[in-house]
Amino acid sequence: MTTLPIKNKIRELRFFAEEMTQKELGELVGITQQTIIAIGKCKYSPTLEVAFRIAEVFGQSIDEVFHYQSA
Amino acid sequence: MNMAFREKSIGISLSGLPEEAALGLSLRAISLIIIVEIIFQGMLAVSNRKAAEHGADERDTLFAYKGNNFGYTVLAIGVFISLGWNVLLEINPAFIAQSNVLKVPLLTAHILLFSFIFSEVVRFSAQLYNYTRCD
Repeated sequence: MTTLPIKNKIRELRFFAEEMTQKELGELVGITQQTIIAIGKCKYSPTLEVAFRIAEVFGQSIDEVFHYQSA
Repeated sequence: MNMAFREKSIGISLSGLPEEAALGLSLRAISLIIIVEIIFQGMLAVSNRKAAEHGADERDTLFAYKGNNFGYTVLAIGVFISLGWNVLLEINPAFIAQSNVLKVPLLTAHILLFSFIFSEVVRFSAQLYNYTRCD
C-alpha cells in the first residue's frame, strides 16, 4: 500500500523522548501499539483527536508533529 | 507477526465460519461454530489479557465499519434475491415446475442463510484485508 499524504515526526519525537516505545506512546494516547505503528509508517491517518493527543504527549503543537504532503 | 488483538479475533471468527457452513448449515454446525468461537476467543483473550481489556481503538472501529459496509451490501443482495424469488413464484407459480434445479425445499431459507453466512465471511475478510493493508 502507498503511504498516505499526512506525514509525521513521531519516530524522531519518540527518540528525543528517551526512546519512548510505541507501546508506551499507545498507552499514553489510548490506542493500540499496532495503530501507533501504522500511524508512524503513514499507512493510517489518525483522527484529529488522536493527532492532538499525540502532539500533547510530546509537548508540541499538532503542526509540529503532523504535516500534509500532497503527491 | 505483530497482529492487533482485534485482527486475531476476526481471524478466528473467519476460520470457523466457512468450514462449519459446509457441513449442511445444520443446528449441529451452528453449535460447533459457537463452541469453537468461545474456546478460541477465550484462549486469545487469556493470552492477550491487556489488549482484550483495552478494547477497540479508533482504527479497529473504522475497519469494523468498513467491514460492516461490505457485509451489509452482500446481505442486502441476498435478501433482494430471495424477495425476487418469492415475487417470481407469486406471479408465475408454474415457473418452478419448469426447472428441476429450482425444486429445492425451503429455497428461500437456503438463500437467506447462505447470504447471512457469506455476508459474515465478506465482513471479516474486509476487516482482515484492511488490517493487512495497513500493517
